Amino acid sequence: MKLCITSTGTSLDSNVDPRFGRCPYFIIYDTDSDTFESIENASREAMGGAGIQAGQLVASKCTGAVITGNFGPNAFRVLQAAKIKMYSGVSGTVREVIEKYKSGQLTETSAPDVQSHYGMGRNS
Amino acid sequence: MIISVASGKGGTGKTTVAVCLALAAQYCQFVDYDVEAPNADIFLKPEIKNIKKVTIKQPYFLTETGKNFSKCAQFCHYNALAVIGSEVIFYPELCHGCGGCILVGPEGAVREKDVDVGEVAKGFTGPGIDFLKGNLTPGSMRTTTVQGELEKMLNKKGLVIIDSPPGNSCSMVMSVKNSGYCILVTEPTPYGFNDLLISMEVLDSLKIPYGVIINRDGIGDLSVEDYCKGKNIRILVKIPNDIEIAKCYSKGGTLFDYDMSYKVKFQNILKEIEGFVC
Repeated sequence: MKLCITSTGTSLDSNVDPRFGRCPYFIIYDTDSDTFESIENASREAMGGAGIQAGQLVASKCTGAVITGNFGPNAFRVLQAAKIKMYSGVSGTVREVIEKYKSGQLTETSAPDVQSHYGMGRNS
Repeated sequence: MIISVASGKGGTGKTTVAVCLALAAQYCQFVDYDVEAPNADIFLKPEIKNIKKVTIKQPYFLTETGKNFSKCAQFCHYNALAVIGSEVIFYPELCHGCGGCILVGPEGAVREKDVDVGEVAKGFTGPGIDFLKGNLTPGSMRTTTVQGELEKMLNKKGLVIIDSPPGNSCSMVMSVKNSGYCILVTEPTPYGFNDLLISMEVLDSLKIPYGVIINRDGIGDLSVEDYCKGKNIRILVKIPNDIEIAKCYSKGGTLFDYDMSYKVKFQNILKEIEGFVC
């Protein structure tokens, strides 16, 4: 299965970015083959609706789960419609987080964590 | 002639000044462009005769047709639409009503409907002042759409006094862009001065002449005054920081209730601007 982790950089040693819609990169990690690719998040500079656009991008990559710090309400609706599992409140490196996921230490999120526009102006 | 009253910082006395100008002129059209928080009616106490709704067109998607709407989502610059398989999620608060999704989407499957964004109210104060204000529907982002309706109703042949919203963004530009002269109201504090400089930059780039009114004179410092003198920018009047003015204001009174001599002062300001513009 493919995992999507919001990341500050392009490697597995990068830190998890706490924002979904406005993170700099997505790491798409395949748990079957233990390979990954990084995708630049083009919607991070969007004036509005970053989470909506990012949600559609993640859905188009056939990911089964997204791991991040926080989900806003708009992104939440898109990912829910795409039947993608959501895990939030996560920090550390991408590699650490993947290990936590594999060992079943993450719990699924059932509601948005933050308000709309939470990630705006928080570019690290 | 259109005279707008603006200020980068909020709460410096735009409405106080605009209301005094209208009362000093006696015959004019007064337009409250601060559609997010219109309050000039508290002081001018107009009789409202006519209220008109302001709407924009927003799309709706006939998903039961089974058509593919993903092109609409790809096209939408404001990300107001998500298409996941057969599911279409529309975010009305992000939609600007541009109609692009109708053009690129499956033919006949994207329709438009009217959505309320606010209203404009028309009336008069006494025999001489035509009163106009806009009122944005709470939650709506279409400030400039409501202002655009006001713009259509401006009486460009006579004297128009425009009470602008605070700030220096789109809604302020909409308010000042048609004016022959703009009065910038400020308070003599670092915050007031900072925002005044931004307002001046906006007006300079729009090539609109302006003068400054210093309100709550006596607080803060001399930076506004020194700057204006240095740049040869006209300070039209200084209004003192006096609690009696605040007391008048809190009862819906104007500067004229505080001190009748302000009527002549504002009449002189109007004469000076007329002489300057014409």
